[in-house]
Amino acid sequence: MMDSVPRIEDPALLRGQGRFLDDIQLPDMLHVAFVRSPHAHAVIRGIDKQAALEVPGVHTVLTLADLSEVLTGERLPLGFGKAAGLPADITPFVLCKDEVCFVGEAVAAVLADDRYIAEDGAGLVVVDYDPLPAAVDCRDAMADDAPVARQANTTNLLATFDVGYGDCSDAFHRADHVIAVALKHHRGGAHPIEGRGAVAQPSPIEDRLTLWTSTQMAHEVRALVVKMLGCDEAQLRVVAPDVGGGFGAKFLTYPEEIVVAAAARMLARPVKWVEDRREHFLSAIQNRDQYWNLEIAVDHRARILGVRGEMIHDQGAYTPQGLNLPQNSALSVTGPYVVPSYQLNVSVVETNKVYTIPVRGAGYPEAAFAMERLLDKVARELGLDRAEVRRRNLITADQMPYELHLKARSGSPMLYDSGDFLECQAQALAAADYDSFPTRQDAARADGRYIGIGIANGVKGTGRGPFESAIVRIGRSGQVFVHTAAMPMGQGIATALAQICGESLGIDAAAVRVIAGDTDAISMGLGGFASRQTVTAGSAVHLAAEAVRDQAIDIAAMLLKTTPDTIVLKDGRAWDRDRPEQTLTLGELAEAVAGVPGYSLISHTTTSDAKPGLEATRIFMPESLAYCNGCHVAEVAVDIDTGAVTLLRYVVVNDSGRLINPMIANGQLQGGVVHGIGNALFEKMAFDKNGQPVTTTFAEYLLPTATEVIDCEIINMQSPSTLNPLGVKGIGEAGCVPAAAAIASAVEDALTPFAVRIDEIPITPERLVEHIHTQSSTSR
Amino acid sequence: MAAISFTLNGELRQESSVSPTMTALDFLRENAGLTGTKEGCAEGDCGACTIVMVRNGADRLEAVMACLLVVGQLDGAQVVTVEGLTERGGELESVQQAIVTQDGTQCGFCTPGFVMALYALRHSGETVTDEVIHDALAGNLCRCTGYRSIVDAARTACSVSGKDNINSRDDSNTLPASDAYEAGGQLYFAPKTIDALIARRVEYPDAPLLSGGTDLGLLFSKERQKFPVTIYTQNVDELRRIEEDDTSFTIGAAATYTEALPYIEAEYASFGVLIRRIGSRQIRNVGTIGGNIGNASPIGDTPPCLIALDSVLTLRGPNGAREISLEDFFLDYRKTDLAKDEIIENVRVPKLGNGQIFRTYKISKRYDQDISSVIGAFRLTLENGVVTAARIAFGGMAAVPKRAIGCEAALTGAVWSEDAVRQAAAAIEEDFSPIDDHRASAAYRLRVAANLFVRLYRDLEGADDVEVMAL
Repeated sequence: MMDSVPRIEDPALLRGQGRFLDDIQLPDMLHVAFVRSPHAHAVIRGIDKQAALEVPGVHTVLTLADLSEVLTGERLPLGFGKAAGLPADITPFVLCKDEVCFVGEAVAAVLADDRYIAEDGAGLVVVDYDPLPAAVDCRDAMADDAPVARQANTTNLLATFDVGYGDCSDAFHRADHVIAVALKHHRGGAHPIEGRGAVAQPSPIEDRLTLWTSTQMAHEVRALVVKMLGCDEAQLRVVAPDVGGGFGAKFLTYPEEIVVAAAARMLARPVKWVEDRREHFLSAIQNRDQYWNLEIAVDHRARILGVRGEMIHDQGAYTPQGLNLPQNSALSVTGPYVVPSYQLNVSVVETNKVYTIPVRGAGYPEAAFAMERLLDKVARELGLDRAEVRRRNLITADQMPYELHLKARSGSPMLYDSGDFLECQAQALAAADYDSFPTRQDAARADGRYIGIGIANGVKGTGRGPFESAIVRIGRSGQVFVHTAAMPMGQGIATALAQICGESLGIDAAAVRVIAGDTDAISMGLGGFASRQTVTAGSAVHLAAEAVRDQAIDIAAMLLKTTPDTIVLKDGRAWDRDRPEQTLTLGELAEAVAGVPGYSLISHTTTSDAKPGLEATRIFMPESLAYCNGCHVAEVAVDIDTGAVTLLRYVVVNDSGRLINPMIANGQLQGGVVHGIGNALFEKMAFDKNGQPVTTTFAEYLLPTATEVIDCEIINMQSPSTLNPLGVKGIGEAGCVPAAAAIASAVEDALTPFAVRIDEIPITPERLVEHIHTQSSTSR
Repeated sequence: MAAISFTLNGELRQESSVSPTMTALDFLRENAGLTGTKEGCAEGDCGACTIVMVRNGADRLEAVMACLLVVGQLDGAQVVTVEGLTERGGELESVQQAIVTQDGTQCGFCTPGFVMALYALRHSGETVTDEVIHDALAGNLCRCTGYRSIVDAARTACSVSGKDNINSRDDSNTLPASDAYEAGGQLYFAPKTIDALIARRVEYPDAPLLSGGTDLGLLFSKERQKFPVTIYTQNVDELRRIEEDDTSFTIGAAATYTEALPYIEAEYASFGVLIRRIGSRQIRNVGTIGGNIGNASPIGDTPPCLIALDSVLTLRGPNGAREISLEDFFLDYRKTDLAKDEIIENVRVPKLGNGQIFRTYKISKRYDQDISSVIGAFRLTLENGVVTAARIAFGGMAAVPKRAIGCEAALTGAVWSEDAVRQAAAAIEEDFSPIDDHRASAAYRLRVAANLFVRLYRDLEGADDVEVMAL
């Protein structure tokens, strides 16, 4: 039924008529530049605004003390308030009070007539800092005598928790082989090409503020800003305009958004802040470092008996929304495999770096990397083929639905609802000519070329609840509307929702107007994250559209004096199947139930049981996560002189359930894989030993370009999810989950003659050359 | 100069009060209300601000980064932004339509930049291969699509060269460029002769010389600096010239990489490949080899090549011209022999003589648009299987681009063999003591520099036709 229709978002975007945050210009607007900490850790002794205030065009300089009159608190409430067991004093301040805890933390806001003047002013605000030692490496920060990341702390260990099930000690006792790895997994920032930004405009007419912000979650931003400003929901409208990518960086209410809203309210003028790229590097969330020590117990046939170990997570200076990132990692290690026992101890450590929350993939790529590295090592040590080791351990289709012995953070049991992991891997191997690869590899080596093939499987929990809502409405104009709190930011979700709605109502997707990201359009919802929107909002739209369809058919039947079962909706009209000349437009149906004062609906003269309006609101609450899965096979060449890694081929077999729009789905997969390629080979957010970030431009922090990437060969399996009426699963993050693991496996395979081991992401040419050199010297 | 004049999407603009060093990006977005051109980094690294222009006196349409251009550089040009490709509500331009068809946009923020880069490609007259597409897109970052769909769009839309709608819409092909402009206390000089340029240089020795602006532009864009006086060099005809005789090329200091490329790649193929990897097309369309030299970065890409080729600079000041060997020009980290009242006039690059071969290798983490870790450049003279002369220079190995004297000596007089190059490579540690930084460690730089000798050998022996990739 569904098809690769063109995206309804495209025409405006192609013409440069998208309306992104920075495109909003309002009269009388003040522009904000933030004064940001140059120190990773310091005490603030004083802030002198005088010189900045003397700059012509600087309107004011605001510190936390200045904003206190319009704020209910000094620091942000802990996001998703249920992060159980965490202390209250771990969230970021709106502006720093008396201590700065990472380079780039906002200390003061300069408001001026334009951004140039504001920047000049910011440069003249004198902050008297007393530098303190910084906690930089999260492993070092665990030491008893390590400097604390925040002075209120006695330890940098924010939290420890254990995840697991089964009897690991017995498994390891019984094992024929125990194999261990020590890994470092680094992921940098999110880096949407549009950074963050916010514009707040107090209404000159009503007691109301409108906050436009480039966010993945308009409703959650509203909730937090309402709380911080001490106003009510009617006094604040939050709108996300066109959003130029999120990838996790905009799944948070930031201090800067609070400052913009508070300043606009305080000064009764529109206020705008748009970050520059350096600010994004310094102060937007990152995903960053995890250190893993893992061991696996297998029997003589390489069947997994247990996995256990520990992981250290670099949390950064604050915790704005709980521990979902390390929790996700810990809960997803076992991936698509049967793992009878599992124990992981996680330490979450504060450091003097910008705080972390999940970036696209949300902890799953790290876990997949850990598990897949273990399995590669099992294969090597047992002398088995890497695919064969996986084949022996994958969950089989007849085990579906497969209940893990773990509970999600919601407390609900974790369950794989559908999928055929073995078939998925088999298809990937076949597509990649895996079996013939050794021949090709031998031929290449004879030529002095080092090529390798890598394989990795992954799963991703998608469609996270607890709910999403949707309104489907047909206006008297005949226009069909979808209102949703789902957030378009590139995924084509507006198109997908329009397709789902159009399917029920018998109209083209292009005829549906999707209104999203506006708290005035719908009362509640959660927004865009966790590859959730087609699952949750899509299902809600489906349910609402089906309800409106039923209403429309009933009304048409009444108007056409027939029975509902003879009415079909097609091409924007209701048709009487038996009398094709009898049709009514959707607008006429809506008009018929719009009501005329004093008259009955429909006929105006006789009573009927018709209800007013053609409209339905539905909420969809998924029971649990819908897991997608995929198998990636990467083929690479490694230049042993320079350490350069070149991708030669990349096969993806992915199963995200039923696809609404295969074209969009493939685009999401390709984009996700390339994010994984970036993590595997290029992206590194580097800090020096004092906690100074040293990669703060796109010249230093490298994203993949068109040259570096490869056209993935994509095969879609479509095992319907049993957890929603559409049978869909998420796909936005699917591509990046196993990508780095597959590339690491391939690089290691290419360098087999040098016995190079990949235990760290990103893979740098420097380390490859060092390993190759060491091994060549030894072997000579 | 009363006004800076240019056409913007076919309409004449005459700006008389705008700061001459306001970036073109800010001008478009804030003054002209054309918000289709986006700021993704304001540093020339992401391409979201790509526009196309026919520059003063030029006959072709080029993609450029609006964030690194200043308004003064628009004088006399024809400028087209994404809004200029279609009539409002009219049909999409073929590049735009191809992106829709191929699903080449997701969030859409980088999209106008890609549209303009591909629009320039479509009108470049090139035979469009995947390599050319990658080259045309190397300056544009996209975080959503993974590029595949955009490359697909390029394959379909750019394979047929289209008629651009620039000249047909404009009344005149070339607007007169002015040579002086003042606004808000800022002076902007754009002299047209070398004598006038030197006179300005003498008058304002502290004023920055603006050529392509790919480095200086960062000060205008990122740092938002407002210099009281700026002197623009690219209107000086003599400085734009590239001349060729039997023995050398003389490349004017203000000639762009793009203009120099055909000469260079015809004579020294690997140098051409290296130039294609400098920045991106948008950068190379305005950036200059003269600027790369004057900038004196230890990791500038062209100086090692030019040193290995025994190039000579002509510097000109109020007392006339003087010549200096390029290797003597670099004194210390970012310090050169250029006097305050002098300018670089041109660089003379000898052609290859009998028995001479030249190879250069750029080592960087990413193939395109990346700062080098190491650049190695080799000019060898081979006669009857013996190396009779060797000039070898490296970048990224010292505070200045520098010759590898010990390596040269080891190779000179040797029979051309893998043993000989390995011995020469071993001298690298005597020639250089590079530093560690986050881009590469000293050990890596030394090891890779040494490996390049072996690579050179295999390369010349035809045993290895694999091009040295990134890293």
